[in-house]
Amino acid sequence: MENTQFDIDNENQWCPGCGNFSILQAMKKAFLKLGIAPKDLLIVSGIGQAGKTPNFIACNMLHGLHGRALPLATGAKIANNDLDIIVSTGDGDCYGEGGNHFLAAIRRNIDITLLVHDNQVYGLTKGQASPTSSFGMQTKMQAKGTTSYPFNPIATALVSGAGFVARGFSGNGDQLSELIVEAHNYKGFSMIDILQPCVSFNKINTNAWYKERVYDLHETDHDASDFEKALKLARLGDESIPTGIIYKTPGIPYHERVDILKKTPLFAHDFSRKKMREILDKA
Amino acid sequence: MTNDITILIGGAAGQGIQTIGSLLARVCHNAGLFIFSTDDFESRVRGGHSFHLLRISDQPINTPSLKPDILVAIDEKTFVLHKDQVHPEGIILKNGNDNLPVDSSVFTIPLNQLAKEAGGAIVANTVAAGAVLSVIGAKEEDFESVLAKQFKGKGQKVLDQNVEAGKKGFEFGKQIDFPKLFSFTQAEHNNLVVSGAKAAALGALAADCRFFPFYPMSPGTGIVTNISRYTDQLPIVVEQAEDEIAAINMAVGASFAGTRSLVATSGGGFCLMTEGLGLAAMSEVPVVIINAQRPGPATGLATRTAQADLLFTINASQDEFPRFVFAPGGIIETFNTVKKAVYLSEKYQVPSIVLMDQFLVDSSKTESDEFKIGNEFDTLLENDTKSYQGEQFFRYQHTNTGISPRILPCGSEALVRSTGNEHTQEGLSFEESDNRTTMVEKRFKKLTLMKEEINLPSIFSERSSIFLTGWGSTKNSIKEACLTLREQGIDAGWIIFEDIWPMNTEKLTERLQNKKLFMVEGNATCQLGNLIRQMTGIDYASSVLKYDGRPIYPEYIIEKVKNIIGN
Repeated sequence: MENTQFDIDNENQWCPGCGNFSILQAMKKAFLKLGIAPKDLLIVSGIGQAGKTPNFIACNMLHGLHGRALPLATGAKIANNDLDIIVSTGDGDCYGEGGNHFLAAIRRNIDITLLVHDNQVYGLTKGQASPTSSFGMQTKMQAKGTTSYPFNPIATALVSGAGFVARGFSGNGDQLSELIVEAHNYKGFSMIDILQPCVSFNKINTNAWYKERVYDLHETDHDASDFEKALKLARLGDESIPTGIIYKTPGIPYHERVDILKKTPLFAHDFSRKKMREILDKA
Repeated sequence: MTNDITILIGGAAGQGIQTIGSLLARVCHNAGLFIFSTDDFESRVRGGHSFHLLRISDQPINTPSLKPDILVAIDEKTFVLHKDQVHPEGIILKNGNDNLPVDSSVFTIPLNQLAKEAGGAIVANTVAAGAVLSVIGAKEEDFESVLAKQFKGKGQKVLDQNVEAGKKGFEFGKQIDFPKLFSFTQAEHNNLVVSGAKAAALGALAADCRFFPFYPMSPGTGIVTNISRYTDQLPIVVEQAEDEIAAINMAVGASFAGTRSLVATSGGGFCLMTEGLGLAAMSEVPVVIINAQRPGPATGLATRTAQADLLFTINASQDEFPRFVFAPGGIIETFNTVKKAVYLSEKYQVPSIVLMDQFLVDSSKTESDEFKIGNEFDTLLENDTKSYQGEQFFRYQHTNTGISPRILPCGSEALVRSTGNEHTQEGLSFEESDNRTTMVEKRFKKLTLMKEEINLPSIFSERSSIFLTGWGSTKNSIKEACLTLREQGIDAGWIIFEDIWPMNTEKLTERLQNKKLFMVEGNATCQLGNLIRQMTGIDYASSVLKYDGRPIYPEYIIEKVKNIIGN
């Protein structure tokens, strides 16, 4: 299916061979399937290679600071809960600099879709260890290997109460675009941790390395509503990496818990001079 | 003849000294008297030493006084700390059972015993309030009607106990002969007693701010608490963020999506917000920040006051960009300034910062001026999006004023792109050097018009030989000190800055030329004085600085000015 609706006349800045290209393709394919036009799409991003994404696709864009994509998106969604918001971020951006916001967004159950480009290394700053780098990974900065254990985003999301937790792989675009469709259709906070190689800086977790290890949960008897099983899957080691929807359970999103947001988006209310006058007179 | 008294009520945190103050204030307010109150407290919930200052007058008042006519010492510590501060003709009500006369002006009142007789130790504050009201000439029935309103929801028993406690207090007070009696006749009036925190909250609401992400930090919290009271009456959302960084970024996100947003914090929180402040500036998304200053650096004195963030605020965040900085001097001024800050932030698509401080936030006073709704709530977003056909939209279009068209994302065919990276007119990240230069110039182009929005400082008595010069919450202390100095034959005027930044250098230089400035500031380095010198080349002659974490009272200024001029 040829899709040019989301193409944009702007020079792409990613390295040739980067996993980001297939993630971007999967996004476009998913949006087409969902019937979302560029004018109805808002992509919010942070800083890093993943943060650049909305510059390379036709959409409304809010491209903020390193680590802060989630609070930006949260504010935009509270202002107008009719907005269709995709957050594009990376492992350093979301789990490192923005870790606290990751936890808070899950707890708020704000109705947005979080796509984390997880290449287990810092790309834009040229190859330092990221929160998800494997233990002992050597980099120019961590010459003797990392001394911290990797962050487990899936397990953390699960125990923090996330209602839609999935893992994708940039090497499986068809599955990824389906996951984006499912995540988008989920009412509430949905996240996809997307494994991807970094051709420039991650010499361990290469495309081949992933291909040997990933498998599709669709091809198993996994029951995505089973929390205990999901947590077990989340805690498997590096040798066998499940992809697909790991956990999914319904929840009540933020804008359905806050009375004033239930009927009309916040920005769309009229200012009532009369009401304000009453308040001032009784102050 | 004007009657004007000050009452200092002191005790440990948790003993309810503010409750006593608020009962007194209500009875006085109902009678049409004017009040000014402020709190001095430690960063703790129980124990320590706190006091509440309440000034009552039959004329409008704008400042507290540190010379109490009545000292109410709930504990021994208060008596020891404050007895020498009391006015020579003043009296002291000292809580205790010893009944030993210390001197003729000290009256020992057994608050707990009287409270128990009235029904329980919990009503001791009502006894104290009753005693003070009786001393200053209030009528018992006026107190009872305030109590009836106050304890309406708590059941008849609680009300009865409080009324009884009030009677016991009044009974005790009758033995005290106090010269400064007020005439407590019920007066019809539209006066309001409003705190700085509430004035800021109301200003934000009247300018149609709807989203208030916050992280608690004294003394900024009170502003948001005052907003959250209206969540059932107005289309607003108050959301506790995970930290101040999240708060400012949420505000930027919401503002981008078309909802006016305001964050209130203190210096430490503002430090965390500075990168977000830069994002607002670069992406030209309006945002309003109230920084309720307290002494620092770091945690400093968490519940106390300072005016030491001015230069930081003007320069906060990396690189350079236009911003508004305001510092309202009083309660109604805070209301009007916050409205203006919100509106101008929208109009120029720049950040607006309002500097308050603990003293201003936690002070309450009687306002007889009306809190007016102007046109600040008018939308400045472009409603006519039909003119944007197709996807192309120049969010950062070059214009004569530097202000570009701003529309809602996902509200039309046009794609709206905002970013914290340097960008093209379309809002796409772009690193080319000429583009960078023109974009920096585009943002600074707004300054020409922004400067015209800034009111020049108010100047009193143009030809005075010295000018007490200050900014923000010291306004009314400076004014009162100035008038007192003039009564004493010292030829002083004042210059008060409330709109501070951007400075209209030419006009300001003209106004300040050949004036002898005595800076009065709540910091150690004379920040406004230095800023004036930097911008205009005019040096200040002298300075009265205070950085002990406490407010600048008129008495302090008077004493220091006299020392300086050798009077």
